[in-house]
Amino acid sequence: MFGYYLDLALRSLKRNKVLTALMVLAIGLGIGASMTMVTVLHVMSGDPLPGRSGEIYYPHLDPLPLDYHKSEYGPDPGVNFSWPDAMALVSAHRAERQAAMAGGHLLVKPERTDLRPFYVDGHYTTADFFAMFGVPFVHGQGWAASADGAREHVVVLSETLGRKLFGSADATGRMVRLNDTDFRVVGVAADWRPQPLFYADASARVFSAADQFFVPLSAALDLKFDTSGNVSAWSSFDGDMKSPTVTWLQVWVQLKDSTQVAAYRQFLIDYSTNQKRLGRFERAPGNAHLYGLMEWLDHQKLVPADVRLQLWLALGFLLVCMVNIVALLLAKFLRRSGEVSVRRALGARRRDIFQQMGVESMVIGLAGGVLGLVIAQVGLWSVRRRPDDYAHLAQMDPSMLIGTLLLAVFASMLAGLLPAWRACRITPALQLKTL
Amino acid sequence: MSWRAMFSTLYRHSLMPLLVLLQVALACAILCNVLFLVWQKMQPMLAPSGVAGHELILVDQISSTTRSWSAAEVQTAEEGLRRLPGVRAASAATGLPMVLTTLMIFEFKGPSGVKIGVNGYIGDGLVKTLGLQLVAGRDFLPAEYREYGDTNAGAPLPVIITQAMANQLIPDGQPVGKLLSDPNESTDPGYRVVGVVRHLLRNQLGMATDGKADYTVLTAQKIGKADGLSFAVRVDPSMREAALGEVRSFIHRQFDSTMDSHSPARISFYDERRDAAFKSQRAALWLFAGVSLSVVIVTVIGIMGLTGFWVQKRTRQIGIRRALGARRGDIIRLFLVENLLIVVMGVAVGMLLAFGCNLLLMHYYELPRLPWSYLPIGGVLMLLLGQLAVLSPAMRAARVPPIVATRSL
Repeated sequence: MFGYYLDLALRSLKRNKVLTALMVLAIGLGIGASMTMVTVLHVMSGDPLPGRSGEIYYPHLDPLPLDYHKSEYGPDPGVNFSWPDAMALVSAHRAERQAAMAGGHLLVKPERTDLRPFYVDGHYTTADFFAMFGVPFVHGQGWAASADGAREHVVVLSETLGRKLFGSADATGRMVRLNDTDFRVVGVAADWRPQPLFYADASARVFSAADQFFVPLSAALDLKFDTSGNVSAWSSFDGDMKSPTVTWLQVWVQLKDSTQVAAYRQFLIDYSTNQKRLGRFERAPGNAHLYGLMEWLDHQKLVPADVRLQLWLALGFLLVCMVNIVALLLAKFLRRSGEVSVRRALGARRRDIFQQMGVESMVIGLAGGVLGLVIAQVGLWSVRRRPDDYAHLAQMDPSMLIGTLLLAVFASMLAGLLPAWRACRITPALQLKTL
Repeated sequence: MSWRAMFSTLYRHSLMPLLVLLQVALACAILCNVLFLVWQKMQPMLAPSGVAGHELILVDQISSTTRSWSAAEVQTAEEGLRRLPGVRAASAATGLPMVLTTLMIFEFKGPSGVKIGVNGYIGDGLVKTLGLQLVAGRDFLPAEYREYGDTNAGAPLPVIITQAMANQLIPDGQPVGKLLSDPNESTDPGYRVVGVVRHLLRNQLGMATDGKADYTVLTAQKIGKADGLSFAVRVDPSMREAALGEVRSFIHRQFDSTMDSHSPARISFYDERRDAAFKSQRAALWLFAGVSLSVVIVTVIGIMGLTGFWVQKRTRQIGIRRALGARRGDIIRLFLVENLLIVVMGVAVGMLLAFGCNLLLMHYYELPRLPWSYLPIGGVLMLLLGQLAVLSPAMRAARVPPIVATRSL
């Protein structure tokens, strides 16, 4: 029966080409617009560390003085850590793994004479970083915890940077000159690019390029390397990054289960209580908090409000398109009252008529879905040309591709329900009389 | 034409009119909100900048990680710039229009207790360099300037505010001479207004909406010791390109040896900065325009399709009307008025829907409240679209010959 209905549907659609084209166009426009925005949101709010994000947490302390007036315009200094607090958390070893970090921007002076010196982005961090985030290595490995204490001049390069500098994948053991200091390459990480770059300072461009190097935080501080993130001070600042009133570091910890999480939360409160007793902290120790990775991303509002707004706009537009399809299908089906009545008089049940109309809506949905895919690709292309830092992410993956088609078919079948129901309730006798 | 007859037709076959009504309501709600978003994005682009943009060169990103510049060095550079051929005025400044990387933020409380947050531009002689138009009071006197960062909190700091700020802070009376205070610092001597300029666009462009575009203040401070430098240079409009070259080579001569080599100074005309600053806004505008146009097209298609079917279904009724003496004009009018009736109801529902959407958006996205004036705009737009969409089916209906009324009754 399905094949017969399909044939009937195609014939009926061919009979009124303009109306069919309009319906396909309407569903295509609606699906195209909404899938463009859904895809952008999907790539932006994805899990940056699949399989691991459930164990990664961001602690929060509140070292700000009581009379500190938080400006609603500037960045929040309480988001980052001061050096003493970060080091206290890292050296306490209360979590499975823990690392402090800050973004950096360094000048690389290649040995190769055909390359001019250039700047690269990366992070200064501590030893646990690689194991905690599961950074994949191509050669070598991260540095040992002892390297942090000894402020050793070692570096982990990205595969891209290693290849660019040395022409070969294995750069371990070679020397790299960073801001006029030689660093020994201990490992080459595969190009690792969590989207978004969740561990970076919130003011950084979290959807842009990958980190090219990792250097021990202690060595970077020793050499007075610049940090590229936000540095906030709430009392006089003379450039001393170890000051307890300057926040600039991020701290991430790995916790295996809920008991560890509860214990760590208590540890943060105890630490704050202790600091308050010492007179360093002024605010309630209960302000200390532990955020899960995804919760943290949500809290930091990494997805621009504009993108969410545009998604709602696109979904509203899809709704308009669906109401439109309902109207056009209704007009189309009811116009065929005569044909439906003849079929009914010849013995077709209401169910058969309903199925026939359903197949017709599905065909329109499929055609609309294909058109929607084309429109969504054009939409994504235009998003990629926009000057925002997330623009280059706007690509459709296979799951989105199938999702688009399914959504189109589902939407048009949903829209076809009411018209099909009306069509199968046509009274044959009345219609046949007027034929 | 009887209204009762018309209502009873619509009532008895209520599915078609209901669908048109629903379409109109949804489209109206979306259009009202989109128009409002477009206006929000366009306000900063349309706001008058107050500066002589065509004559203004901006220099920024002079920075170094290893040193800072002394007050004497800043002054030497400032005077050097002023002596260049084609240059009319030059100021070392912090915070400049369309320089989005350095923001100075001030909070003011007026005599009546109104509080506002504004952007500040700081530098010696900025009124002249930016080419601002004073509407009341005077420019700063040379003796009034303090060095930026000097916490010489003796007397109130002289400030020049914009007309928009004056209207907000000092709604009644003369702003010149009035005292403003910092709501966070009760001990601070505050600020004294010495002048008012007509316009000066703030450099937090995202906040330059709803009359807050001109929330900008000039303070009587000049740049002393600084970690990073920026300059505003006003040039002779007939010598723009030559002056740009002169300024470029001067900045390189003066600062290249002391600056970080990786981040060269940015030297360009205000107009170019403005263009670059609004790139993202323009992209968003295109998107909104595309969505609105699509909504309009889809709605018109829907109304046309439905009314076409509506006409076909009522062919015999139309025939009877014609046979009983209705003219073609009457038939066209009948469909136009019917459509008007449905669309007016749709618009009424749509306005409520638009308002509801806006409340939701306000709750989640820090959007301002949709002003009432947008609702009639969206409504009138929908009425026009409805009439346009129904015109061709109505003409088709008018061509129905009276003879059909007599067939197969």
